[in-house]
Amino acid sequence: MSLATKHTFATYKKNNTIENGDLVVLFLSKENLILIRIQEDQEFCCKFGNYKHADMIGLQYGTKLGSNTGRGFLFLLYPTPELWTLILPHRTQILYIADISLIMSYLDLKPGKVMIESGTGSGSFSHSIARTIAPTGHLYTFEYHQERVAVATKEFEDHGLEGLVTIECRDVCKNGFGLVNKADAVFLDLPAPWEAVASAKQAFRQDKVGKICTFSPCIEQISKTVTALTEQGFVDIQMYECLIRFNEVRILQISTLDEALEMERASEKKRKRAMPRVLRESFKNRLQQEQEQDSGNNTDQDQEDTEGESTVKKTRVNDGDLSQQGSSTPSTVGTPNSRSHADVFIPDDSVEPREYIEPRNATVTRLPVEQRGHTSYLLFATFTPATQQPSLAELNKAAAASSSK
Amino acid sequence: MAALNPTDIINAGEHVFIKMPSDNVKCIVLKAGSSVSLGKFGTFKANDIIGHAWGNSYEIYDRDSKTRVYHPEGISEVEETANNNREIVDDPTSQKLTLDDIKALKSEGLKGELTGEEIVNKLKESHATFDKKTAYSQAKYLQKKGKKFHKVFTPIKPTAYSVNEYFYVKNPSKIRDIRMDTLSQLLSYSNVHSGCKLLVVDDTQGMIVSALAERMGGKGTILGLYDGDNPHYDIVKYMNFNQETLDTIKVLSWLRIHRPADEKTPDEMQDVTQLTGKDLEGYHRRLKAYNIVEESRKILFEGNFDALIVASQYQPESILEKLLPYVAGSRPVIVYHGTKEALLETSTWMRRCPDLLAPQLTESWLRKSQVLPGRTHPEMSTWGTGGSLLTATKVIDQPVQAALTKRERLAMEKKNAEAKKLKRAREEAESATSSPAPVAAAAAVGDIADEAVEGVEEGTTTATTTDGGHESRSIKRAKQE
Repeated sequence: MSLATKHTFATYKKNNTIENGDLVVLFLSKENLILIRIQEDQEFCCKFGNYKHADMIGLQYGTKLGSNTGRGFLFLLYPTPELWTLILPHRTQILYIADISLIMSYLDLKPGKVMIESGTGSGSFSHSIARTIAPTGHLYTFEYHQERVAVATKEFEDHGLEGLVTIECRDVCKNGFGLVNKADAVFLDLPAPWEAVASAKQAFRQDKVGKICTFSPCIEQISKTVTALTEQGFVDIQMYECLIRFNEVRILQISTLDEALEMERASEKKRKRAMPRVLRESFKNRLQQEQEQDSGNNTDQDQEDTEGESTVKKTRVNDGDLSQQGSSTPSTVGTPNSRSHADVFIPDDSVEPREYIEPRNATVTRLPVEQRGHTSYLLFATFTPATQQPSLAELNKAAAASSSK
Repeated sequence: MAALNPTDIINAGEHVFIKMPSDNVKCIVLKAGSSVSLGKFGTFKANDIIGHAWGNSYEIYDRDSKTRVYHPEGISEVEETANNNREIVDDPTSQKLTLDDIKALKSEGLKGELTGEEIVNKLKESHATFDKKTAYSQAKYLQKKGKKFHKVFTPIKPTAYSVNEYFYVKNPSKIRDIRMDTLSQLLSYSNVHSGCKLLVVDDTQGMIVSALAERMGGKGTILGLYDGDNPHYDIVKYMNFNQETLDTIKVLSWLRIHRPADEKTPDEMQDVTQLTGKDLEGYHRRLKAYNIVEESRKILFEGNFDALIVASQYQPESILEKLLPYVAGSRPVIVYHGTKEALLETSTWMRRCPDLLAPQLTESWLRKSQVLPGRTHPEMSTWGTGGSLLTATKVIDQPVQAALTKRERLAMEKKNAEAKKLKRAREEAESATSSPAPVAAAAAVGDIADEAVEGVEEGTTTATTTDGGHESRSIKRAKQE
């Protein structure tokens, strides 16, 4: 492996160009992502055709590449911790972006921080941590499952993170972390996090503030952990749950009732089942009479009422004009305060009803029928420096003295 | 042990958030030698905390505003009692102390003659029905009074998280309602890390720029585009960034992206050799401003940004279409907005845009719980909106080879089908040698295995649906046999 491919997951390549030996995420679809390492003589095959690695070399990351048959294409993406979370082979339940993000922010992770994680699990979170604390920070990660340690070790190496991550096979609940006065932040994703709290306390840098997070699916685990944290003198204990809702954006086509009725009238007319003229005439006459009576009775009716009526009428005139022009502009709907009147139900004879009226587009969101309802409770607490510290100068002097010894 | 960093201790002249017993947070600039008033909770001397590590709580304990490190007592489990609220009536006379008595206690407390705990104890003792309350109610009463009378404060270090929390509670519209969980997701999606180069349009008063700058740790570049006279990155000043980090933040006005034809360089305007005194100073000032703009322009036109992050009051697509060309391939493009609806059109626009891949519109949901032994439950009030994120990946669109003609495709499919047929015939011949009853089953299994292997080889884009199709087909075939 050339030096150029080191730290692939922790930082971008300067020239952003795919070279032999590089890692590439093949994006076939949102659900189908594959991580490959470029080897000149190989090719990637799928039902839509073959893609030669040699063809990828020299391309920029992000390029769209067609298959040899021309029946498919894929995107060549740069591997990031966020993509890795979607690709990685699950050996355990993994953390997803909602929890990963909130924990990293709460634990105040940034370049240079020293962090402890247990257990490593499938290494989903480890990748994000390594990226965030690089290039000067360090992650100590512990896992008691021998095989998972072996796989994760290989992955960290393959992904160029070995300089940022130290992995150890160790049962931290029984044997502690074996680290003293080292960490800025601790993350515990263990079946019994309360058993590791005392050891975590020792692992914190004793002279400054530190943050701890435990991740447990059950409230009973939280309860025991809270007790352990309080006993060990951790403060500011807070608990959060965080979920992401993935919206599906859709375009919904909406017609008005008038448009629908107009189309229906058109099809009725086609089928020659329209309302007989006699019936229609009598209906119209009756309405007219009623209207005259109404206006005779309520001359002092508030203006809104008459205004409302006129809008309705105007609307219909407009509508007619537009349809005569053959335009598909949607008909205006009366304002809510324009009082509905049986008038609106009378089909306008003078205008030929349109057979098809283009519906309007409304962009809407939909949540998936099934979505994540719970991942785990995030329990946060703060480690406080044991005592008031002497001044910075004194401390630095002491540190210098001890290092010179 | 490594030496402490200046950022690990409380320094004079920096912004500090002071958390008070009431859980309210006050933001101050810590001046050496000054006294800081916390209102009814008393006053403390800035020098008592300057130079000490962050993280401790302090108690104001005597009349000279002296402070000492406060170690909270462990929170104890509430012991269940037989009490219930049957006997409790809403009666203001249960508290035997009068308002004046309490005021007197308070002023004694302020003078430092009584500690907060002593006051709370007095209130408790003179409460007629305190003993009749349930254990939970008693604990709640003490907690509530403690918030009023304790004199413990905690200096909080400004970080993206704590600054965001402070403004989200105090004035969410200032930061356009971006909540810590949404902000942290934005940071994850942006893949921000030490040394990267970001293009940002930030109308959240610099909240996003601050969070990004924190994650870059002084290495890399953030170019912020702004409209109006000045970039309004007010939040940045609360972060106590060192100069190295501040230098990573560059700004450029939208109006200055392209140099107007009639704009002159300071050298074109004046001949520097002729200038003296104030004119020379002015020249240098102009030259400096000119160089800053030139540098930002250069950064923009060099392109190859590692992320584009837009949190603007303007229509997002109108910004994206201008800035997308400057973003490198396979890099995140993120749009934040306080309301999801404002991003709907952008989302459909993104889907049509050949330079963007897989747009995704997300909202975050966050719930906080009270955690006390035996009294854990979600808090009664929670946050409403936290904003919405629209994320996509910048890709490089290039024409792909045209698909095969129908004839070519049919020929290829025929060839494949024949190969499959041959393979199946061979396998059936093999399985026929075993007992006749499970033949059908074996054939079906063979089929499934066969298909499955092909599925893997193919690495299909529609894995789930095709798999399902395969299975049902093979079962059908088994039935026929």
